[in-house]
Amino acid sequence: MLEQFIINAIIVGSIYALIALGFTIIYRTVKFFHFAHGVVYTAGAYFAYTFFTFIHLPFALCFLLAMLLAAVLGIAIDKLVYSPLRIFKASNFVLLLASFGAFIFLQNLIGLIFGNQILVLNLGPVEEGYKIFSAVITPVQILILVVSILLMILLWIFIQKTKIGKAMRAVADDSLAASVVGINPDKIILASFALGSALAGAAGVLISLETNLTPVMGFSAILKGIIASVIGGVGSIPGALAGGFILGFAENLGIAFLPSEWKDFISFAILIVFLLVRPYGIFGTKTDKETV
Amino acid sequence: MVMEYVFHILVITGIYIILTLSLNLIVGYTGLPDLGHGAFFAIGAYASSLLAINFGISPWIGLITGAFIAALAGCAIGVSSLRLKGDYFALVTFGFAFLIYEMSLNLVSVTRGPMGLPGIPQFTIFSFSFDSVFSSAILISIFVLITIFIISRIVNSPFGRVLRSIREDEIASEALGKNVAKHKLLAFITGALFAGIAGSLYAHYITFIDPSSFTVMESILILLMVIFGGMGSIAGSLVGATVLVVFPEILRFLGMPSGIAAPTRQMIYGLLLIILIIKRPQGLMGKFKLG
Repeated sequence: MLEQFIINAIIVGSIYALIALGFTIIYRTVKFFHFAHGVVYTAGAYFAYTFFTFIHLPFALCFLLAMLLAAVLGIAIDKLVYSPLRIFKASNFVLLLASFGAFIFLQNLIGLIFGNQILVLNLGPVEEGYKIFSAVITPVQILILVVSILLMILLWIFIQKTKIGKAMRAVADDSLAASVVGINPDKIILASFALGSALAGAAGVLISLETNLTPVMGFSAILKGIIASVIGGVGSIPGALAGGFILGFAENLGIAFLPSEWKDFISFAILIVFLLVRPYGIFGTKTDKETV
Repeated sequence: MVMEYVFHILVITGIYIILTLSLNLIVGYTGLPDLGHGAFFAIGAYASSLLAINFGISPWIGLITGAFIAALAGCAIGVSSLRLKGDYFALVTFGFAFLIYEMSLNLVSVTRGPMGLPGIPQFTIFSFSFDSVFSSAILISIFVLITIFIISRIVNSPFGRVLRSIREDEIASEALGKNVAKHKLLAFITGALFAGIAGSLYAHYITFIDPSSFTVMESILILLMVIFGGMGSIAGSLVGATVLVVFPEILRFLGMPSGIAAPTRQMIYGLLLIILIIKRPQGLMGKFKLG
């Protein structure tokens, strides 16, 4: 029982962490809540579904194409919606509202194209799970776990080692100083949206292997991503990672005591508690306190 | 039949006007980023209905109680989180609206969850019952007029001028000796109170409520009405609520099947929100541009 609980928490936690990481990469550069990140996640799942079911491409290729197209979608949202607002230095609230607008528009566009019914991304016959002590883990869950951890490692290498990753960190720390030393902020914004959105797309494809696709799937996903980010401290990459897993554990722990419908309630209660008690998150420091 | 339909739309428009005016007081006049106004609407509706169904309490007392509980909830949210910066406060209100929605959905023993609450009694005065759409339209119109009167008195009073000064420059208002925190809190509570009234009016008019009327999208829709009509404009709120209530009905007359009409309507809302923010942040009639 306990082993099963831990496995479920880790799998759902890794998805939350992927969403939160993508959200955080974008937040660090633009400093507002990119809510439409959730619909990029949905779109990623539907891109993979389209390639896999209608064009019959191999799944690995579908996965990469979905990430690529998610990145393109993220960039498009930035260019069409946020870019004009950045010119008049709109407040964070206004950008958040515009983001809601983009979210609502795209979610319903997906609903219009694919219909509101549940779709299934079926890789093949359901295989029997492996037993680890008393817990069961299915091959699909192992795939989810391995791919998410791989993506996290790649992200870490990208951020730490590549030139553009270093530039992204510089902008996150101090965008003015970064532009003084010759880092082009527009290029970094573009890179952040591409990278963050690709991660969202990947998370969307991975989750649709385990559950199903619906046009509204991105709503609860982005909420979980934001909650995970707030838990870890908004804008902190280790925070997003830890926050995702903490949220996964907290939700699974919660439904050990409460009926499973209360899952979303539990995570929102955690959000409200964090916002009121420690809005700068677990990994936030005194200086982050200034920003909330 | 046609007249009944027209009067029904009139009633719904009236309820949204109350919601839009009360949110305009919070967002448009005071500049507080509220993304969860639907929560107070839901609280008013559920509180009033539950009192009437379970304890046989008069809808009028339910209305007052519902409004009071909504105001109390507004007070709790305001006291605890108005100190947070803009988007974090927006997140708290959004989270609160979601919690209220989840409670209406999952607290089945109290709210009957997705099955909803049927058989909510209608308003009565002595032996006269507001059970027709015509009498309800008159009742709602009276409440709309009262709301317009009170909100315009508030915003044109010295208190309202302080609210606008907070919106324009919080630090300057503080420097002039105004108690910014208290003013923000009072504006937020007043808005919540009126949303609670709207909730009770809605529940006792429609006689059946379920969680689907109180999703977080409802809060976004009310905010869209405020922005569309114009931030900080009473007339704007009237126009914003009316246009956005009537507009989906037109789509219905165009004969779109509901599977297409529903997402199309939402897509137009989303697009409208983006275009307004980028091209006309002051809305149709507002003087204040959304920062």
